[in-house]
Amino acid sequence: MISFALSPQQKQIKELVHWFAQHEVRPLALEADRLGRVPEEWLQKVNKMGIQLNTSSFGGGRSAPAAGQKPDKKEREGNRVAVIAAEELAWGCPAIALSLPGPGLGGPPIQSSGTPEQKQRFLSIFTKDEPRWGAYALTEPEAGSDASGIRTTARKVDGGYVLNGQKIFITNGARASWVVVFATVDPKLGRAGHRAFVVEKGTPGFLATRTVHKMGLRANETAELVFEDCFVPAENLLGGEELYSAAAHQPSGFQVAMKTFDSTRPIVAAMAVGIARAAYEYTLEIVRRDYPKQGRLYYEAAELLAEAEQEIDAARLLTWEAAWKADIGEANAMEAAICKAVAGKMALRVCAMCLELLGPVGLDGHLVEKLYRDVKVFDIFEGTQQIQRLVTARRLYAPYGVHV
Amino acid sequence: MISFRPTEEERAFCEVAKTIAVEEMRPSARDCEQRRSVSASIAKRLHELGFLGLELPESWGGLELPLISQAQIWQVLSYGDLGIVQGLPGPGEAASLMRQAPEHPVWRPYRDAGQTGIWPTVAFIDGEETIEVRRSRDGYRLNGTSAPVRRAAFADWVVAAGKDNEGEPVIVVFDERTWETIEGDFRLGLLAAGLGRIRFSDVFAGNDRVLARGEEASALLGHARARQCVLEAAKEVGLMEAALDYTIEYTAGRKAFGQEIAKFQGVSFTVAEMAFECRGARNIAWAAACRVDEQGRAAEGFAWRALARAHRSVRYVTDQAVQMLGGHGYVQEYPAEKWMRDAQAQVLLYARETDWFIRRGEQLLDERKERVAP
Repeated sequence: MISFALSPQQKQIKELVHWFAQHEVRPLALEADRLGRVPEEWLQKVNKMGIQLNTSSFGGGRSAPAAGQKPDKKEREGNRVAVIAAEELAWGCPAIALSLPGPGLGGPPIQSSGTPEQKQRFLSIFTKDEPRWGAYALTEPEAGSDASGIRTTARKVDGGYVLNGQKIFITNGARASWVVVFATVDPKLGRAGHRAFVVEKGTPGFLATRTVHKMGLRANETAELVFEDCFVPAENLLGGEELYSAAAHQPSGFQVAMKTFDSTRPIVAAMAVGIARAAYEYTLEIVRRDYPKQGRLYYEAAELLAEAEQEIDAARLLTWEAAWKADIGEANAMEAAICKAVAGKMALRVCAMCLELLGPVGLDGHLVEKLYRDVKVFDIFEGTQQIQRLVTARRLYAPYGVHV
Repeated sequence: MISFRPTEEERAFCEVAKTIAVEEMRPSARDCEQRRSVSASIAKRLHELGFLGLELPESWGGLELPLISQAQIWQVLSYGDLGIVQGLPGPGEAASLMRQAPEHPVWRPYRDAGQTGIWPTVAFIDGEETIEVRRSRDGYRLNGTSAPVRRAAFADWVVAAGKDNEGEPVIVVFDERTWETIEGDFRLGLLAAGLGRIRFSDVFAGNDRVLARGEEASALLGHARARQCVLEAAKEVGLMEAALDYTIEYTAGRKAFGQEIAKFQGVSFTVAEMAFECRGARNIAWAAACRVDEQGRAAEGFAWRALARAHRSVRYVTDQAVQMLGGHGYVQEYPAEKWMRDAQAQVLLYARETDWFIRRGEQLLDERKERVAP
């Protein structure tokens, strides 16, 4: 039946993550933004607490069955749990949330396409002894929205591949213990030539050349990576040679990248919802406290706040719908694109509305201006809103045989 | 558990509703509009299937479905034609009052009439600002003319809600034609819906015609409004889905500059945005339906905003449908122009989009507890 009530597990995780976001993340948000990084000692502390941005917490908590273990018969709810948790973390601070140790956006491709050995090798390193990160590297200077146009090459050699190329805008790319890197074995093959590799930190020829300075998300590291004759052993080809030979006529490397988006876009959308909610709740309190209780200003504020509340909930429901479809095993690419497009745009608009309600005071030391700077990129990364429209339109026109 | 999957029963209802919507309502839409009434065969068919009594109590022979089920069914029926849906006979908005107070003697003749034939048609007046209600010792005297309401032209009953001269809420029910119908000059849309005004010229309603007064009336009305806001929002979603699907099909087939116009991003991106609006409005309406099912009047703020959102979305989607069809969108050989007119007429009937938001905003500003849970 149609229901919008959280299950006991979802409720528990929501409360737990919210508690963490409220007491551990939010108090640090403005300071981390000023510093341009998350303090190392804080990362050590939360890692010891076992809190990570990882696929298992995005995939249904620590109760998610490990490789080889029989899945239980209960309805899968990992994707719904993931978006609920992501919203709460981003509510605390999106830059800190993205800086939490763990495989991050590199987790889903390994989970979905890695061999059992690769899953074990790359996902088991995220332990409490010291914070570690994973990363995901698709974007290049000349290939952003058009991921099929990547130019990083992977030349097959004895025992593995040699990578050459450059990646930009890579979240946690410099500190990551490994990076999932997309490259082409032959640019002429287009998507069919794509392969995904896990490149480990310290691999000769793999360099993080610089971290970029951004409008927002300043506490979160965004790196540029360079691969110069970087040898990657065959066992680090994601999914192994079998994955690509089994689907000889399929653009499977590209599919790994696209499939990743189906699970990460709802999470990014949920984070945008969390940011918008943070701005809305912050502003609601100020309006309650400082605004006149009647008259023009009061009614204008009431209207704007109600509209913001509605927009936030609408985006959240779209996010839940995309996650729900993934949980029940249905294709969710269109829903993932819709929620990402709507939430990214909505969140910026809500933050702008909140700034309007705060007035010039909002310029000076208030959380909302930081959220406004942070949130803009949620309309860009993991596919711009234009790309989400393209993905949506393609699916809407598919029944008519028209490829747009 | 969060789920967007309808129940088996809902699916079965919607399947039947979709067949009627597509095969009977849509092809009759222009004809009904020109005749300014719903064809008897469609009304009869929907009555036989129980669709006119979705909200009515089971003890009356209605289906008394949860709001979330009704929302889906009205959404599908409105996919056929909103003008027809809004002109159907039956209890209309008053059904939610009947559902809440099924044993009230004022309804007895209505319930009895429904046992032997189609439910009588009720026009509902939310006439706080337009109808003067003067209290007397043994009842009320009503004077004034309502704003345009649907089904005024063929109403068998009228239910009027207002405030008396001392400011007390009151709901009165008329089952005899003591009112006058002002037909008016309606051209915009929903022309099969029997739009008109109801005029009371010193009409007396004895105490036996009073459904409720004071706090009781206020509670009944508040809950009924919440239910109606959700159902009207769901109908608007049905209309926008019709406009979206038609636009996709049209733009997939129409060629310009040597290719299907869907291949131009100016078109395909607009269609994607129409889909965003449809999904967003649908989910907000469904979520409001679930909340009202669970919490009754306490969830009225969610119902208000569902309607406000649907108003905004239905105007956008139907306007874009006309735009995407170009000149064809503007002429009556194609349905898009009618959908745009119907949408705007619907928004006017259940208007106050800004007011709904302000009311909701006042609720939010008045809430003291931290709002963590969605």
